[in-house]
Amino acid sequence: MSDVAQKEDVEYWRWQEYHRVFSNKKWKNKDIITAGVDVGSVGSKAAIMIDGEVYSWGVMRTGSNSPESAKKALDWAMEGTGLRLNDLKYIVGTGYGRVNVPMANKAITEIACHAKGANYIWGPSVRTVLDVGGQDIKAIRCDETGRVTSFLMNDKCAAGTGRGMEVFADLLKIPIEDIGKVSLSVEEEPPPVSCTCVAFAKTEAVGLLRKGWSKEKVLAAYTRAMAVRMSNLISRVGLEREFVITGGQSKNIGIVTRIETILGVKCLPTPNWRENGLDPMVAGAIGAALFAKALYEKEQKQ
Amino acid sequence: MKSQQKKYMIEISQKEIEELRNSVKATSRKVMAENIARMKKTSKNRPKAMEYFDEVADLFGKREKEIQAAKESGKKVIGYMCLFAPIEMILAADAIPVRVNSGWYDTSKLGDRIVPVEVCPVIRSTIGAKMIGLSPYLELSDALISVLTCDGMTKLGEILSDYKPVWAMPIPRVKDSPQSLRFWRDGLLTVKGQIEALTGNKITRKKLKSAIEKTQRATKAFRRLQDLRKGNPVIMGRDAMLVNQTYMWDDITRWTEKTEALCDELEEKVRRKEWACSLDAPRVMVTGTPMIWPDNWKLPTLVEEGKPQGVLVADELCSSERLLYDPVGVDEWTMDDMLDAIGERYLMASTCPCFTSKDGNVDRINWILNKIKEWNVQGVIYYVVRGCMSYAMEYTRIKKVLDGINIPVYYLDTEYTREDVGQMKTRVEAFLEMLTARIDI
Repeated sequence: MSDVAQKEDVEYWRWQEYHRVFSNKKWKNKDIITAGVDVGSVGSKAAIMIDGEVYSWGVMRTGSNSPESAKKALDWAMEGTGLRLNDLKYIVGTGYGRVNVPMANKAITEIACHAKGANYIWGPSVRTVLDVGGQDIKAIRCDETGRVTSFLMNDKCAAGTGRGMEVFADLLKIPIEDIGKVSLSVEEEPPPVSCTCVAFAKTEAVGLLRKGWSKEKVLAAYTRAMAVRMSNLISRVGLEREFVITGGQSKNIGIVTRIETILGVKCLPTPNWRENGLDPMVAGAIGAALFAKALYEKEQKQ
Repeated sequence: MKSQQKKYMIEISQKEIEELRNSVKATSRKVMAENIARMKKTSKNRPKAMEYFDEVADLFGKREKEIQAAKESGKKVIGYMCLFAPIEMILAADAIPVRVNSGWYDTSKLGDRIVPVEVCPVIRSTIGAKMIGLSPYLELSDALISVLTCDGMTKLGEILSDYKPVWAMPIPRVKDSPQSLRFWRDGLLTVKGQIEALTGNKITRKKLKSAIEKTQRATKAFRRLQDLRKGNPVIMGRDAMLVNQTYMWDDITRWTEKTEALCDELEEKVRRKEWACSLDAPRVMVTGTPMIWPDNWKLPTLVEEGKPQGVLVADELCSSERLLYDPVGVDEWTMDDMLDAIGERYLMASTCPCFTSKDGNVDRINWILNKIKEWNVQGVIYYVVRGCMSYAMEYTRIKKVLDGINIPVYYLDTEYTREDVGQMKTRVEAFLEMLTARIDI
């Protein structure tokens, strides 16, 4: 897949890496400055908080080396803030690579962190969180404090995950950031592809293209299949409102709209992360930074 | 048997068999040593008496040589796959009982050459172990008792009959009806005859009584150990599971003595308040597909080495606590009464999901509820390997029951593989986080 991309010199799967600093906030030495570093299989995210308020974050691709990715993401979140590693009072690592975050004081699973982060982003009414990451999907139930009450996770398989979407973006030569919009541009929703396995779905998609389907239609059929799979996971954990989606796929409007249709429920709207809103992809890192603050305070009391 | 056409097994060259056996055996040795080392490291005050069980856990060690020597002196070895095999009858005929299910991950891939991957890996792995002659106890068995519980076990016996005499013991799927008990008792009598014919030893009243008394003593020691797990954790769950599991191949009298000695030491630790781990560790119970040493030690390891750490205080597994929990209860030491008692001990007490009744598998539900209450369990992990239908299907009901008493339960599905450990770690740790109050803001 990457061979094709290199040949044509366009990497359709490549999504935007960026960082943000809320420059209206200023930090002082006496503040409790904490960080959360979420090393996922596809993306690494770091968030920095001042006294439990989000100050900055960075989002980038995970490289082959988890500790390195963790460091880069955290450095990026600190860029332009004047902060140095020493200024961070407590750091929590999370995500698939959480045990390989060298600067972290503690590791907490991304399941707990996403619930906590969603509670911060959308408020205490959130009860169900769907986190669609690069390698797995998790349906999480939580209480009004963002504490996990139950959860389900897909098995070891890339189906219905961000990685699967990247594969399709590349196959269909559609930039990943447009993939949601394009999937919704079909006049009539085609039946979902029958196989959600990424490897087989790719074969099936090639077959459909050969049959004369437009790439929009193929994409719609694949996105539909993914949305069905995610909706099933949510139904199994039990859907209670309010419902939100976090992780990279929260930005895929094709997925979000279809899940809403299948489940018959609206998600709380995604903040406008391109401007001044919080990014649901960073929810895990935000949750980790919140845990970091709580753990720091607990440590100080002892 | 050699002249016969094999029903299932394929021909593999002796060279390939040896290469595969050597390589899997080398991995297995490494895994066993690593598991024991990690268990030693995890427990804060690991009992000295565990050293014996660490040693007997070596599947290619002393016990293999001991059984080999006994065989050379004329003793017969009778293997079994499900724990319905009447151990007391085997002992009464002066034969050695060994359970032969495989916990080796690598051999499940070999089993794929005979049966499809959809089949439960416990079955595929046992087939694979036989293909390369890996399991000492399976190899040393003169005959196998195959109890027809789940579909996998039923066909496993059939496949292994390519190599060994296999005695099929059909089991009624409904326990408490007069015809079921008669049917089961008839099966026991048939197996009794087969054991007698193989060993050339008659199972007399006196010998059967002495065998029953032997397993009764083992049950007493076994129960004492499980009871010690009711209070503050004085032994890690993995250690207790290893003790329970070695019963499947160890000499039963010696196992009983060593277990009693372990319990003496544990009681002393209770007096001195020397605990095996932090008292904050959530108390977890596992139920589901059997977990077999040495490779399939994945889940207990993840729980007890997790961040946060959990402790397994109880289980409902046919590879651990279900093995010996129920004694043979004899009223009068007549042959008839003893056979009835053996029949009831294996059939009526079992919580295996192969059974049903008008109320479903209520015995299993009651076991789980009782364990949760008496062992003060805070969360249950429902463990299923892919292809294990009966356990997978009963989950829905167990979950409803546990939801009703507000006990969190997590369904963990996996395979005979090392590759999913990272993902499983996230699941297990998220569940443990959920159980601990530490993740509280």
